Amino acid sequence: MSAPSVPALSLVDVDKRFPGVHALKNVSIEIMPGEVVGLIGENGAGKSTLMKILSGVYQPDGGEIRLAGKPTRFISAADANRQGIGMVFQEQSLLTNLSVGENVYLGNEAQFRRFGLVDWGALYAAAARQLEKVEVDVDPRTHTSELDFATRQMVELAKALTLEENAGGHLVILLDEPTSVLERAEIEILFARVRALKTRASFIFVSHRLDEVLELSDRIYVMKDGAVVADLPAAEANITQLHQLMVGRSLQAAYYRESLQKPYGDEVVIEAEGLTLGHAYRDISFKLHAGEILGIAGVLGSGREEVTRTLAGFAPHDGGSLRIGGRECRLRTPAEAVDNGVGYIPRERRVEGLVLFLSVAANITLANLRSLTRHWLIDGREEQRIATTWVERLKVKTPSINALCLNLSGGNQQKVVLAKWLNAKARVLILDHPTRGLDVGAKEEVYELVRSVTAEGVAVILTSDTLEETIGLSHTVLVMRDGAITHRTAALPGHKPTQVALIEHMV
Amino acid sequence: MAALSESIGIDRIRQYLPVATLVVLVIAVGVAQPAFLEPSTLLQLAADTAVLFILATGVTFVIMLGGIDLSLQSMASLSSVVVALTIARLGYGSFVLAVAIGAVAGLLAGLAHVRFRIPSFIATLAMGGVLFSAALVISHEQSITLGEAERAYQVWITGSVAGVPNVVLVGLVVLIVAHLLQSRTPFGRYSAAIGAGEPAAYASGVKVDRQKVIAYVLSASFAALAGVILAGRLSSGSPTLAAELLLPSIAAVVVGGTAITGGVGSIWRTLVGALIISVVRIGMTFLGVNIFAQNIVFGAVLIIAVAITIDRSKIPIVK
Repeated sequence: MSAPSVPALSLVDVDKRFPGVHALKNVSIEIMPGEVVGLIGENGAGKSTLMKILSGVYQPDGGEIRLAGKPTRFISAADANRQGIGMVFQEQSLLTNLSVGENVYLGNEAQFRRFGLVDWGALYAAAARQLEKVEVDVDPRTHTSELDFATRQMVELAKALTLEENAGGHLVILLDEPTSVLERAEIEILFARVRALKTRASFIFVSHRLDEVLELSDRIYVMKDGAVVADLPAAEANITQLHQLMVGRSLQAAYYRESLQKPYGDEVVIEAEGLTLGHAYRDISFKLHAGEILGIAGVLGSGREEVTRTLAGFAPHDGGSLRIGGRECRLRTPAEAVDNGVGYIPRERRVEGLVLFLSVAANITLANLRSLTRHWLIDGREEQRIATTWVERLKVKTPSINALCLNLSGGNQQKVVLAKWLNAKARVLILDHPTRGLDVGAKEEVYELVRSVTAEGVAVILTSDTLEETIGLSHTVLVMRDGAITHRTAALPGHKPTQVALIEHMV
Repeated sequence: MAALSESIGIDRIRQYLPVATLVVLVIAVGVAQPAFLEPSTLLQLAADTAVLFILATGVTFVIMLGGIDLSLQSMASLSSVVVALTIARLGYGSFVLAVAIGAVAGLLAGLAHVRFRIPSFIATLAMGGVLFSAALVISHEQSITLGEAERAYQVWITGSVAGVPNVVLVGLVVLIVAHLLQSRTPFGRYSAAIGAGEPAAYASGVKVDRQKVIAYVLSASFAALAGVILAGRLSSGSPTLAAELLLPSIAAVVVGGTAITGGVGSIWRTLVGALIISVVRIGMTFLGVNIFAQNIVFGAVLIIAVAITIDRSKIPIVK
């Protein structure tokens, strides 16, 4: 780098709040021309919010965005595009029923319009030129569905590069987890292209794979709890150090209520033997005891999410055996899981956890309405009494038990979901990222409740956003990689495994 | 927070808008035509509303869980033909037969919807075609007028008790039964949950498919009952007897304030909606609007009602 130049893009003290969450706290970052900047942080650290502000989806509440030194605003994704911000997302945005060329110029066909009709010849010729930039040898008339994921990712990159002609200035391309669906060899190719394109554009690279971030980036920003906590050259960083920066503090026993962690009983509630489902996971064996919290750790694609979906009745296993309460079963629907005493607390709380437009009371009784039914009719008074009891026991903050769940905060919504399963007398709870999107105080309340229900003999399967939470809460931790269990360890209070000890089995 | 309380305020207004509309319309027609407000006229209004209300009640169950039933007018017409053809032989049994056929048709449409994952409007549109053709075939494309002896079985529809037309009493029974079903049974609760948030209902162990099938069975059975009553009131059965009733029925549900997207609604609202439609119809008759032009008004009313009752900011994509 020669003399200090003007950053291609910079954020100055950008602030963003959502109801109940301070998502970004005075974040300042800058990206120099031709630089690849890595952006890392745990889920909920604020990465996605930052990316959405950069791509024009969200507007900041405070602070400033500067493009080549000049203050600007991105009022929409299309506006950000026009100003030279390109995006390549993890969930690919190509439409598979269109040709490659149509995808590259989707929404920007106007430049090829002749007498109101699209000049397809010109569009495909232009698309071919874009594909050359990323060295993809594909006929732009090919149907996108025929391409493999790696090539599609390149096409996305080509699509982002069309902005060069339109925006005029230097491009900044956001790469949001672009490698999550790619094989190692494909990742190499993608990285080679990105490096080759550094003369044309700057990149912001978001990934949960720290080794890749170290490999590709020139500089790395670490985010935690909505703020940038570190800014360091990739050449001087290492994985352990980055991980410590992301986690921030060493494990705090009190935070996870370890003193309340009671030894679990002898009674086996769930026994899995050689459980297998297609390509998702194979040969999963474990015993879950009453009062035990079994944490499953693993990266995206490790198969742990599918294991929890199987136990909740969404994805029945196709091999091995599953015994719940000693009875062999295959859970084909959530209703069958519920009948077997399994309750699911999903990560998509507002979609799968609660019916937002029903009252708190109706949500609490939803999984166990039969017990309230006398002579075909719901006993309304009994329902109100039960709902009031749960609201008081779990300290749900709601204006009334007849208020819509829509109006509750995230933490209180999660308590309603928990109340629903406690009311249905679930013996097993599947906690699928139970604290996602909750602030610290609400998280602590959830931890306390989880401790108290397990003390009463409820068994828990836990998949968590953070390794820290998995270790802190669990009695036993399973580590999964590529669909199989690679490690299992006890996690008793005072003898908790370290994160580093688990990570080596995850990646 | 301000936006939240503001939206609650708008929700309040939305909630009471149908009743307010009904009151305003009744007063307006009453001022223009004072005879309208006499008890006998109002009872006549209630009697004339019964068939529409029963049709609208049936489809309310389906709309509550986010579906639609487009077969109801064909179902009602077929039902009138079945009654007209069998009443001489089966007597009261003809009414049971007609409603049973409705239940079976609803069961088939519901199963097609959930088993083959066909959108409900397609499943019921197809079922409507089948039922309409069936009515044409068995009636030999003719209207069948009922004789004196046959009409004796229909006194429960055509007669009156202490000046109150029986059909109004039948409507009241339907109101009570349907209201209990919708607001007090697990089925009603599950329907609202499915309409408002199907993934959460499913994840909570609600047997979603079963509830949907029940709703289509109810919708078609109520439509068949409406056909039975129509046959009584008009002393005939015909494959086109209920041909103009689909649009007003769905309009009644939506005008009453039940969301076309499901989850929010009640039988009471449908009653209010059906009365609004009836009063509008009478108002138009007073104004001398051609009876065949009335569906132009109901079409417009339906569009406006949906536009007012749905908060589109919560629904990004409408198909």
